[in-house]
Amino acid sequence: MSLTKDRFGGLLFLLLSITYGYYAADIPLLPGDKFEPFHAQTMPYWLSGLGVIFSILLIVLKPAPTLESESISNSNLVLMLGLMAFTFAFSVALPWLGFPITTSVFLASSYWLLGERRPKMLVFASVPFALVFWLLLTQVLDVYIAPARLIFW
Amino acid sequence: MFEGVFTGLSTALMPFNLMMVVVGCFAGTFIGMLPGLGPISAVALMIPITYTLDPSSGIILMAGVYYGAVFGGSTSSILINAPGCASTLVTTFDGYPLAQKNQAGKALALAAYSSFCGGTVGAIILIFAAPALASVSLSFQSSDYFALMLLGLTSVAAFSGKGQVIKAMMMTVFGLMIATVGNDVITGAPRYTFGKMDLVDGISFLLLAMATFALAEVMMTIMRGKMFLTSQTMQPVALSSMKLSLDEVKEVAPTVARSSVFGFIVGVLPGAGATIASFLAYGLERNLAPERLRKMFGKGALRGLAAPEAANNAASTGSFVPLLTLGIPGSGTTAIMLGALIAYGIQPGPRLYVDHPDVFWSVIISMYFGNLVLLVLNLPLIPYISRLLAIPPQILNPLIIFFSIIGVYLVSFNTFDIQMMVFITLLAVGLKMLDFPMAPMLLGFILGGMLEKNLSRALVVSDGSFDFLWNRPLTFSIMSVTLIILLLPWILNLGKRLGTKLLSAAD
Repeated sequence: MSLTKDRFGGLLFLLLSITYGYYAADIPLLPGDKFEPFHAQTMPYWLSGLGVIFSILLIVLKPAPTLESESISNSNLVLMLGLMAFTFAFSVALPWLGFPITTSVFLASSYWLLGERRPKMLVFASVPFALVFWLLLTQVLDVYIAPARLIFW
Repeated sequence: MFEGVFTGLSTALMPFNLMMVVVGCFAGTFIGMLPGLGPISAVALMIPITYTLDPSSGIILMAGVYYGAVFGGSTSSILINAPGCASTLVTTFDGYPLAQKNQAGKALALAAYSSFCGGTVGAIILIFAAPALASVSLSFQSSDYFALMLLGLTSVAAFSGKGQVIKAMMMTVFGLMIATVGNDVITGAPRYTFGKMDLVDGISFLLLAMATFALAEVMMTIMRGKMFLTSQTMQPVALSSMKLSLDEVKEVAPTVARSSVFGFIVGVLPGAGATIASFLAYGLERNLAPERLRKMFGKGALRGLAAPEAANNAASTGSFVPLLTLGIPGSGTTAIMLGALIAYGIQPGPRLYVDHPDVFWSVIISMYFGNLVLLVLNLPLIPYISRLLAIPPQILNPLIIFFSIIGVYLVSFNTFDIQMMVFITLLAVGLKMLDFPMAPMLLGFILGGMLEKNLSRALVVSDGSFDFLWNRPLTFSIMSVTLIILLLPWILNLGKRLGTKLLSAAD
């Protein structure tokens, strides 16, 4: 039995379903709940069981013809992971550096990562955009955005 | 009913709501044109904006975006042979060959007229069908709702494509699993929160929708290298005259009429949606066409373009029937709208017709206005809107990512949500690479809470016995349909295999 895309997915889902079912036992019940026909653990146990059944079906049954296999180059994968890392960094930096600075840096670095090298474009498509968007939120729409902790300590 | 129509008309005709239709159609057309981003992503991107509006205006905006995105998808299919979404894939079969014959203007006009007719026929049937179904469904009990939700979830999985049924079922279960995270709606017990306060309220619907559709789609576009298409391939072909001759109108009129009604019926079926409707309508027209015209299919046949366009728009309208009357979305896009309505505190279903007639009717009426806006305003502006495709992708993609994350952040003001989005996006990208469909997961997540509540009620009423599944004729009928839909792909497959074996034995 070869490890096809489907079987790999099935194995992962099987693992997830078993873990999900295992943690269902940690859900606290109210006194007397276990004598009720339906309580907080019921649905998780059923879903875990269903997950296990479907995973086994996917692993055991003859794999269906897969869709067009995607040709994904390593460089594109790195780009995607880089963008995700920038997004994560944006969430960490936002409370400390504030909205305008974090947004400007996030946009400029993302443009750069995706191949934009013109310095003027990097600056003009990020800094004015971040400032105008920030002004629109705070001054026009009256949305409160917390100031940067590092600057307004 | 006419009182309701007037209520809807007066709400939809309010200047602000009219503006929302226009803005929605434009925004939708633009987003729908971008290869890789379809109506689901377009509607998901609009959710944060709609949170600041009242329910009617918010849903009207989303309906406008929905139509605009489908139209935008057709435009990019015709002009650059890159369908914005699956439901406009069939449009490329004859739309792009027409554009290559220097008839891009005619192809766009025909697509717009067919979409308009499909949407109009759909809206007219919806005006009569929705209230009728809503009044019947007022007598529904918990067991019926449970069975209906099961039907909705099963149909989405069953119609998800050849060889994909088990995977779609798995994703539905995964969506239901995600829905259990947070405090239990019935007892308040914390489930799968792992002691984290940020998870007590569960995972936000907006976060999940944005991560799995908007962000994950952009990431997939980057990974597939589609954003590096050269400017030549992204350059739309020149538009020509948008006029259709009388003979051409006569040729496509029956096709449009047939496909509109057919598309609406397919759209009403939970889970079927616009993609299946467009493929079926195209196949139907090709089979009905005389031999001379059949040869033209795939080479720029007018009928081949009109059929899927009329059908997908009528199906988009049809998918609102189960959403508005039963609270069960018929497609991924309507699943997102269902989530947005729930976030407004409005529970779609039979009570929507009674409790919020303004929302119910204004959505139906504004759908028609949406079609009108697309025809009157968008079509002449297509040459200008398509220039937006010239924004360099290395600038456009980060902006889409920014709008997705900031849309979620501005609702909760919690940076943990952005981190959660990153995690879910990576998960979604992995699942997409393994060919797992995303729409069933979102549907499972949205219906999860309601499904559990109704199942719990039904079980308590029947004292823990599952006889509620067959005691009420209505529940029993719905469960039977669910079972048939679930087993249909296997039965058909078995029949096909038997047929092939018999044929080879006969040979």
